[in-house]
Amino acid sequence: MNNALLDSLLEELCRINGTSGREEKVREYIISKIADKCEYEVTPLGCLIVRYKGRRTPSKKLIISAHMDEVGLIATYINEDGTIALDCVGGVSADAVIGRTVVTESGLTAAVGSKAVHNLSDEEKKTPASFDKLYADIGAADREDALRYIRSGDVLYFRDGYTVTADGGIISKAIDDRAGCAVMLALILENALEYDTTFTFVTQEEVGLRGARTAAYITEPDFAIVLEATTAADIPLSEGAARCCELGKGAVVSFMDRSTIYDRELFEMSRRIAEENGIKWQTKTVVAGGNDSGAINISGDGVRTTAISVPCRYLHTPSCLARLEDFHDCAELARLMADTLSAQ
Amino acid sequence: MPTGVPGLVKHTRKATYEGFLRKVKMEKSEFISLVCRLASINAVSGSESPAAEFCAAELRKYTDDVYIKAGNVIANIGERKPDKLHLLLDAHIDRVGMIVCAVDGGFAKVSQVGGLDRRILPAQRVIIHGRNGDVCGTVCTLPPHLAKEKKVMEPDELWVDTGLADAADRITQGDPVSFDSPCEEILGGRICGAGLDDRAGAAVMIAVAEKLSQESELPCSVTVMLSTQEEVTCRGARVGAYHIDPDIALEVDVSFALCGGEKPEKCGKLGGGAMIGISPTLDRALSDRLMGIAQELSLPYQTEVMHGTTGTNADYFTISRSGVRTAYAAIPLRYMHTPAEIVDISDLMNITELAAAFAGRCGTDE
Repeated sequence: MNNALLDSLLEELCRINGTSGREEKVREYIISKIADKCEYEVTPLGCLIVRYKGRRTPSKKLIISAHMDEVGLIATYINEDGTIALDCVGGVSADAVIGRTVVTESGLTAAVGSKAVHNLSDEEKKTPASFDKLYADIGAADREDALRYIRSGDVLYFRDGYTVTADGGIISKAIDDRAGCAVMLALILENALEYDTTFTFVTQEEVGLRGARTAAYITEPDFAIVLEATTAADIPLSEGAARCCELGKGAVVSFMDRSTIYDRELFEMSRRIAEENGIKWQTKTVVAGGNDSGAINISGDGVRTTAISVPCRYLHTPSCLARLEDFHDCAELARLMADTLSAQ
Repeated sequence: MPTGVPGLVKHTRKATYEGFLRKVKMEKSEFISLVCRLASINAVSGSESPAAEFCAAELRKYTDDVYIKAGNVIANIGERKPDKLHLLLDAHIDRVGMIVCAVDGGFAKVSQVGGLDRRILPAQRVIIHGRNGDVCGTVCTLPPHLAKEKKVMEPDELWVDTGLADAADRITQGDPVSFDSPCEEILGGRICGAGLDDRAGAAVMIAVAEKLSQESELPCSVTVMLSTQEEVTCRGARVGAYHIDPDIALEVDVSFALCGGEKPEKCGKLGGGAMIGISPTLDRALSDRLMGIAQELSLPYQTEVMHGTTGTNADYFTISRSGVRTAYAAIPLRYMHTPAEIVDISDLMNITELAAAFAGRCGTDE
């Protein structure tokens, strides 16, 4: 696969803002790329289903799926003093937003504030931040002033700021799961697959795998490959199996997580394909997390599902950290898995 | 009120500085730009040189007598004479941050420099200032499902992840680490970002120097000092005050602006003007003088009453050498010591006028 194309798609996708339920800008971007190549439809929940025509038609139907939404924040109330009460969209820890700036839908910078450290009691210093005590401050004078720029129900995004390190690390918001979207888009744009394949760019993964559930119902697949980003904890604060998976060790193929027990045969197939083709791969050393596989594998009569993930540190923060080499391994493994499954 | 002590305010209106301040007035947009540029310079306590060089260059626009001594920027305005009082105007140019203690692969073990709120550190973006250039990084945090209990990280758990497989050729022990959060203008003439504590005060001092440089007959001689290491017990100010040996000092630092979670009695109001300090350790007559000037010039102000020391450089000016009568005016600021501090430019402009008028009054009311 063309790594330069993959890398540029990843950067462009990560820079787009789209929290769960508000994926429209991501969807529009993807449509703009594939509209003249493939048939597509947009489902009632905003999922984008793209029907890719290969050179051959498989006997069984494969979908490749990734989610377009990212985690973020939502304005729940405008306080009298012009600050904005917040809650999370998806699994965002208050730790990951306190004491930094975020961006409103209207593009304004907002500080996520709290009491100054100097005025915290000893107890408060030891208590992690929680959303009930946090608020966003856009600099508005009071409630009336703030309402000119923001309303309850508006979402707020992590700051973008896509950074590539000297040896191919990437630091950005939303790598989860624009990495999966980028691989799918590259497979389509490069005509990389031999067989007809359905791509589902789904919504609302972060709030309960909701888009994927409906997309699987609509597409009725026999097989599914879910492309994701998954938690790596290979940092000095954790040791041994608790590290989960590691950056630079290749594509992550899971056998089980909190949402799914993956099809054993497909797991073994992934391992074999990776090893035969010199693609770095690893599996997770912790049964943790979950992804759209959980919704897809129990759709209809059941769907045989595998997940290929980019290992990523600091998932669900504004500073996700992954490595391009692992991302490329995922793309290559996904390509080979897709055609192998379709050839069955 | 006691009398007979030089420098005590008598609240008599004097015309010496009428119109004095409005001769040259930095435009609001120009002021915001100065604050943003100055505050965005990543210079942590002990590594203030980039900020010092910037400030020295700004101050040289207004006086030829500018130098850096022991890290402090010192700018003298007006000829120092035995029969004139010498006024020290000070703000600090260091910022809170971190420092690299060890490097392990792509990770740097760091310690905090100054009082950090460790609640805010998980996944913060930072910059490590390596000897051959900056390296970006993220403060390590365990993913929620692996953290055994939800707790604030301890000081010995602070690591920065450079994302590099090996960072040893780029960073080393002692490299300063700053928050990666440049300042920008937000709504209502407010400014948000890291480092406004106390670069906002330093910007005020540069603006005051501009005003004073336009004044031909200052009643006192003035040193503007932009000092180092305030966040680590005011070390720059201590040696700076000894070097300058002033008669009177005015400190401009930041203080707490009211916001959610804070107590009104402990805070000023953002946009409410200078928070003029009153405390047993500050010279009450000078506090009164600041309030008198604010009233005369119709500048908004508020008081910050403290029961002992101020927690600022002022504490060390008062006990420098044989003792220095000291006043303190603070800029209200929200979310202190985070990368998302907020100040209101109107407060900076008002404090600039107040501090310049204070200099214009020093020596005339004795």
